[in-house]
Amino acid sequence: MNKRLTKIYFDPYLFFSLFTLSVFGLFFLYSASNADIPIVLKQSVYIILGFVLMILVSQADPDLFRRTSLMFMILSLLLLGITFLFGPEINGAKRWVRIGSFSFQSSELLKLALPIFLANFLFDKRLPIQPREIVITLVIICISFFLVARQPDLGTAVIVALSGLFVLFLSGLSWSFIGGAFITLIICSPLIWNVLLEPFQQQRVATFFNPGSDPFGAGWNIIQSKIAIGSGGIFGKGFGEGSQTQLNFLPETKTDFIFSVIGEEFGFLGVMLLLSLYFFILTRCLYLALNARDRFCRLVIGGLTLTFAANLIINLCMVVGLLPVVGMPLPFISKGGSSLISLFFAFGIITSMGTHKKFLPQ
Amino acid sequence: MIFEERQVEKNNFSSRAIFLFVLAGVSFLAVLFQVFALQVSSYTSYELAALNNKNYAVPIQPLRGEIFDRKGRPIVRNEPTFDLITQPDLIDQPELFLKLIKPVIYLSEIEEAQYLKKFKEKAFVNKELVLKKNLTAEEIARFNVRSFNFKDAFIDKRHRRISEYPHIFSHVLGYTSRSDNQYDLSMNIPRSHWADAELTYANGLIQGKTGLEETYNKHLIGTHGTRVYEINSRGRLVKTLESHPPEKGLDLHTHLDIEAQMSAAKALGDRKGAVVAIDLKSGGINVLYSAPNYSINKLSNGMSVEEFQDLIQDPDKPFFNRALQGRYPPASTIKPVIGMFGLTNKLINWREEIDDPGFFTLPENGRIYRGWKKGGHNDVNLKKALMVSSNTYFFKLAYQSDIKDLASYFSLFGFGNKVCRDCYDEDAAFVPSPEWKYKNFNVPWFTGDTVNIGVGQGYLVATPMQLVNYISIVANKGNLPLPSVVQIEEKNLELKENQQISLSNEDWTKMHDALTAVIESDFGTARSIRNLKNFQVAGKSGTAELVSLDSKEAYLEVRDTELLRDHSIIIAFGPMPNPQYAVSVVIENGESGGAVAGPVAIEVLKSLLNE
Repeated sequence: MNKRLTKIYFDPYLFFSLFTLSVFGLFFLYSASNADIPIVLKQSVYIILGFVLMILVSQADPDLFRRTSLMFMILSLLLLGITFLFGPEINGAKRWVRIGSFSFQSSELLKLALPIFLANFLFDKRLPIQPREIVITLVIICISFFLVARQPDLGTAVIVALSGLFVLFLSGLSWSFIGGAFITLIICSPLIWNVLLEPFQQQRVATFFNPGSDPFGAGWNIIQSKIAIGSGGIFGKGFGEGSQTQLNFLPETKTDFIFSVIGEEFGFLGVMLLLSLYFFILTRCLYLALNARDRFCRLVIGGLTLTFAANLIINLCMVVGLLPVVGMPLPFISKGGSSLISLFFAFGIITSMGTHKKFLPQ
Repeated sequence: MIFEERQVEKNNFSSRAIFLFVLAGVSFLAVLFQVFALQVSSYTSYELAALNNKNYAVPIQPLRGEIFDRKGRPIVRNEPTFDLITQPDLIDQPELFLKLIKPVIYLSEIEEAQYLKKFKEKAFVNKELVLKKNLTAEEIARFNVRSFNFKDAFIDKRHRRISEYPHIFSHVLGYTSRSDNQYDLSMNIPRSHWADAELTYANGLIQGKTGLEETYNKHLIGTHGTRVYEINSRGRLVKTLESHPPEKGLDLHTHLDIEAQMSAAKALGDRKGAVVAIDLKSGGINVLYSAPNYSINKLSNGMSVEEFQDLIQDPDKPFFNRALQGRYPPASTIKPVIGMFGLTNKLINWREEIDDPGFFTLPENGRIYRGWKKGGHNDVNLKKALMVSSNTYFFKLAYQSDIKDLASYFSLFGFGNKVCRDCYDEDAAFVPSPEWKYKNFNVPWFTGDTVNIGVGQGYLVATPMQLVNYISIVANKGNLPLPSVVQIEEKNLELKENQQISLSNEDWTKMHDALTAVIESDFGTARSIRNLKNFQVAGKSGTAELVSLDSKEAYLEVRDTELLRDHSIIIAFGPMPNPQYAVSVVIENGESGGAVAGPVAIEVLKSLLNE
């Protein structure tokens, strides 16, 4: 017992790569915010808090998360409901919940709660998963998706849904079912377009396919982002020297389009370095998942990691013009406390699940 | 069993996790590929796009070249003035600004209203807006003392195009004016940025509109400089990135002579007319004067609408350049060329005499063509005919001539052609032809038409420029460099050798003698100007009839209407026997050629010869 108490659950690879990423992120944010020191300081505080949280969370035994998963899920849905009913409306969307002086995006919590909840639901089911379990899982995913989508926050809703679907997929959903669902999705896509998407979201998709059609309106973001990245060249324009960033031609530099800032100021080499770092983190998470102590841990690590990856890839594809513009921050780099705290929380859970080994019978 | 199932589950998880991991890897590669496409493959176009976003280049106006007379004295120069310039970027409330500055700088209500109007219509990067031009020394001093109160305004040097002789040179020099579409598109500065040009002239981007200012605009204008600003996404200036100073335009060194031009203006007085003088050696135009005229200083630097309207509506047409565009019947001044035509075509010789009874009877129909002197000049040969200006002699000679041959002979002397190398908007005037007459009047060419041309009346018209060009060719015995206002290097002088004027040197000398006799002999028609000078002058005067009248009595009746009075013309060259200058003078409604236009020509020649 003594021995167990003194052990620190810690994954050095994950820890140091995240640390490097966060520190780089502060530099990028400094440049992206036109050297706005208060913003950078605030972000540093969140990062420090995040690391503390991550280390604390990773000490908890995976069983704790499993046992509290239902509570966690209910709490998340409750907060989402409160947000929907009482949250302040900012730019036509209700995404924030305020507790005291601290406000955060309630959907961030759901990104964590849903995969853990589903992992707990599915980890002890026999393979292949039965239709009844699939239906229950899908219903839960759909409820979560709609709750977030109606805020409206399509980007996060998609991520939330993906976080559930990843767990479902990893837990052994049959390929024939996946194929069938995919075909159904394509058939239903006009319905999704008309019923689910708000006009501004439809506009974004339309703009994506033809950004030149409205160069000063909706297409502006994509065009300016491409100009910023493209003009960075191989070596970049240098730290704080990106004209697109510093002269405000690039929109949302501190949040969604911070990758364009990196592309402009650090060039192709900077982008490669950043992507390598992200890729290393993903690889490490895959390693942890494959070597986790049980199915629950595997599913949770897999679900959370893939949610992180989806978030990352959607942001990257969006800013380089491969996907329509959806509000999606670049993990660990974009400005934003909720996102950071939730990410560190997730990686705390991943570390916990990946480092706690089963006590083999002596 | 449990272990086995766990192993199956684990394998299933592993394959699916790796599958998704590979999917993520592929996505990473797609992103990397796209970034490569943007940053490496299309780098140059995106780099340009980024530069176009932030770089805002504006032209800097150069100083125009100045214009000098043949002695190197400036005729038009750039005069600096001090203007009060404001920076609208820094002014939030223009009304308040005006209220504050009014005690310092006098502003009329119109100036205030114009300023507010322009303030609202400000250009994209509106760095400056001129509030008041041409400040007085007192205003400058007052402003300088209080300048710390006006960080949004400053006094700067701007130029004006100024001539010391704004009226007498107005037609030859022309004027400049602001031009809204004057872009140098070779400069790679977008058209819209020209509205933000950095100005050197108080009147903005100026361009030559008439005269030398127009003809030589490309030489005078100089090379625009550039200043490249960095702007942010809202179009606000951030800083200056680079600047290249403008280059002043080339100066024009002309053949014009200030004193000669002044003497022409003085001699003409307030009469309407034109004076043109040519340096026979170079073909340089020393005098190009038309009256009435206008002030190029006012026109170039801002004239009120009322003043401009007055000029346009003036019945004397001050904008009309009589020297280059006035079409006048050459009258008796045509007689030398008719005579030379007769010599060239062996229709006459210097000895042969005819009887001049004071009129010529057209054999076909008996129509009478009268001379100016009742009773005629008795026996006249070519020299006497020129000297006493016998109409009968030239009626008869013209009668013997073919109009087509005569017309082509005229063109050898520049009639019907533009004759000046660099004059603005020169008129080619007119040499008639039978085809032209038939086309326009639907009647054939009559012999009588040719007879009239023999004394320079009828359809033939010429400009004062053509008249002086013609008499210069005569003075130079057939050769004359293309007349030009601006000095051209000697090697570039095109000597116009008129080989078709097949006259022997003897003929030319006799012609010079005859024309000298017009002025210098006791019987010459222009002998009244003989004593105005102490060098010999050759020439021929003429009186262009505006109405065709058969008797002197009839003319005395129409004479009461000034605008119907005859035009007075003289063409002259001197000093004889080695002429250096030729001059033509036309005085509208001046009557008797020799006595009226003659003294003007003499004054100009004297001035050119420094006498």
